[in-house]
Amino acid sequence: MPVLFPYMRQILSILPLLTFLLLLIYIAWNVPNFLSLSTLSLILVQASPILILCLGLSAVVIVGGEDIVSGGIDLSLPATAVFAAGTMAYVLSRLEGSLFLAFLAGLIAALGIGALNAILVSGIGLTPLLATLATFVATVGFADFVTDNRRINVNHPFIIGLRDGTIFGVPWSLFGALLIATLISFLIHATPWGRHLQAVGGGRDAAKLARIKIRPKVIGAFMIAAACAFITAFYVLARGSGYSPGVQDTLLVEMVLATFLGATFSPRRVVTVWGAALGAVLVAAMDLGFKSMGVNIFWTGLIKGSLILFVVSLSAVSRQRG
Amino acid sequence: MISPSLKLDKISKTFPGVRALDQVSVEIKAGEVHGLIGENGAGKSTLIKCLAGIYRPEGGGVKIDGVEIEPGRPSVLYKAGLRFIHQELELVPTFNIAEQVFLGQEKTAFLRMDTREMHRALRHFFHETLDFPISSTALIRDLGTAARKLVQVAMALIDGQAKYVVFDEPTAPLPSREIDILLRAIARLRERGIGILYVSHYLNEVLSLCDRVTVLRNGKAVDLIDPVLPHCGQQMVRAMVGRDLTSLYPEKPKSFGKSFFEVSSLSIAKSFTDINLHVRAGETVGLAGLAGSGRRALIATLFGEMLWQKGTVTIDGRAKRFKSAADAVANHIVLLPGDRRHSGLVLDMNVRDNINLPSMEAVATLGLENRRKACERAHDLIRALDIRPKDDTAFARNLSGGNQQKVVLAKWLARSARLFLLEEPTVGVDVGAKSEIYGLVRQTASTGAGFLISSSDPAELAGLCDRVLVMVRGQIVAELSGKTLNVDQIVAITTGAIAQDSAQGGQGHLAGGTT
Repeated sequence: MPVLFPYMRQILSILPLLTFLLLLIYIAWNVPNFLSLSTLSLILVQASPILILCLGLSAVVIVGGEDIVSGGIDLSLPATAVFAAGTMAYVLSRLEGSLFLAFLAGLIAALGIGALNAILVSGIGLTPLLATLATFVATVGFADFVTDNRRINVNHPFIIGLRDGTIFGVPWSLFGALLIATLISFLIHATPWGRHLQAVGGGRDAAKLARIKIRPKVIGAFMIAAACAFITAFYVLARGSGYSPGVQDTLLVEMVLATFLGATFSPRRVVTVWGAALGAVLVAAMDLGFKSMGVNIFWTGLIKGSLILFVVSLSAVSRQRG
Repeated sequence: MISPSLKLDKISKTFPGVRALDQVSVEIKAGEVHGLIGENGAGKSTLIKCLAGIYRPEGGGVKIDGVEIEPGRPSVLYKAGLRFIHQELELVPTFNIAEQVFLGQEKTAFLRMDTREMHRALRHFFHETLDFPISSTALIRDLGTAARKLVQVAMALIDGQAKYVVFDEPTAPLPSREIDILLRAIARLRERGIGILYVSHYLNEVLSLCDRVTVLRNGKAVDLIDPVLPHCGQQMVRAMVGRDLTSLYPEKPKSFGKSFFEVSSLSIAKSFTDINLHVRAGETVGLAGLAGSGRRALIATLFGEMLWQKGTVTIDGRAKRFKSAADAVANHIVLLPGDRRHSGLVLDMNVRDNINLPSMEAVATLGLENRRKACERAHDLIRALDIRPKDDTAFARNLSGGNQQKVVLAKWLARSARLFLLEEPTVGVDVGAKSEIYGLVRQTASTGAGFLISSSDPAELAGLCDRVLVMVRGQIVAELSGKTLNVDQIVAITTGAIAQDSAQGGQGHLAGGTT
């Protein structure tokens, strides 16, 4: 096999990206004006909440390693975002719109879930996949409990601003996403702390030999992820003009797809912060494209699900060959 | 003024029942390579662990340049300039060399890492200190083993504060053509005035590299060779092995049946190459070699657990190909594995069921186990091998190591095996049980079976086997029998103190200078 296909590994590792680009070309061919500036801006705005979740997820994947089963993953992030959104909507609707209190309640809710994940993974030693799947389900239940599983309208000026406001014609929401992406990218890719995070994920025993403490890094990554989920909560509220139950499922699918797709952008084929962000934009573009083409929503789910399987199994296959 | 040195002074360490180190003193001078050699269990790793602070010695002390260092404090040792190059090559495969080398000691400028400075410092270090130009942006996963080892060296030395470096078996994972790269780099460090403690099994490397050598045996420093000259190989071997042969072993037979099992030109890439051997009826053939010599892989292959790529295996002149262990067993080849507690026995099963497990059909009536037949057969074997307790319902877990080994032997005897592959047959077995196991091997062989025994105990091989094949780095380099079969020869050849030219043995010659 390696003799017949000397470039097999390279081809395999960019195959997901190629598939995606072909899909986008197909969409651009069929949707008029898909490549216009206004569409691009719309894609970026649409991508923002997923993008911020992806930043958080990339931190967890980087610290845990990319093996899908035993490595790092935080499936609970979308639920955490929805839970924080629900908590904030609830506080805003009950307490005469005190943004500060809502902020505080949402932050505590999100970081609480993050801390729970950190304890389950780092303290008790559950695999992240199992632990965060459990917290996902529990958190959704908790959010339903807090909000009575009902829609809560929010018309606080800050949330409206995040939805509609622009600076020099560029939406606020975009600035926000860009700022967070820059911050987290700096933290993970430019500081020693971030380098140690990568070392823990890339080779745990090697990190130990370099006298790096593993546990604080794992806890830190889950807390960064939870903080990202908290910020995503504002976007969730802004987009829906309030809280509506059940958003977490689409978020989950797109977050996982975008983050692992992003790995194909990096020269080393590993999950990176900017790769995840770019992945989120691509996924949003595909989503918008499907909507413009009038693809049935059930089909969209099926296609996204298959793409995740595709991306994830290809990354597993190309790793085996490496 | 005393000359600068790393001094281990009368280090003693006792484990329950074993005096692992007995007042061992070693002095490593700045700018010398000091070898530390000894057989497995001589106390080398215990000494290194005491120095590193992993074990706490009961007596003795460590002095660096005349300053007493408190033992058991890795950070203090690090600050004092003592570094360890561990045996394991644990690196982050997705990092580039600069990222790996500076891991945990990154250079920073205003919060962020100074990537450019790290790459510059790294290139300088590799070029000036190691004389091994390397691209600092190459990824670890793309490097060869020797380059990875040099990355480990760079990690320990890049801060420029290292005075003494301990290399623990540094060439063990290296393919032979890459060894020189590492040895050259170590010689460069010596020129820079760094004191090096070089722990190794490979006497030819020690001969060509070291200035002085300390020999450990049974926890004692038995010899200091100063200076090391090209003809010191035999002296080292004698000091390592000592002289205490016992009458543990049964008498060897004078003649054998005809050769029934033959292997020719057997190869698996990266494990072993061009293996030729044969086993005659009634013969016990030993397989010697250090860890990594390909010994384990060869046994696993002959038992069908690995597929060979080239070569043939014939039984009674008929070519065979094993796709699985079941194929090997079907051809009456059985394995008594080194980790008998895991792959030799079902620990939570009783002795009777363990014995009958591979031959259920023989004790079954219409596909169901015939309790009476099973009991009879188990009792026969328990009596024949003197397994204790004499109770076929005792759980395997509760038996002593020697008796567990007998049960494994019994279950294959029940299947009328012809070739027994044994791995480390007496590890963790007391002396009494050892001699019983040796007796059983001989007794079984006398019925016409053949044995291939892989062992890291040279005394066992020399005492028990009729012929011993020595493996070095994936090849059989010597065949010892009759007068040439003794402990000294096995040790000398496995460690490379005597280089072998031909595959069919002979006396060989002493390796001198660089090879």
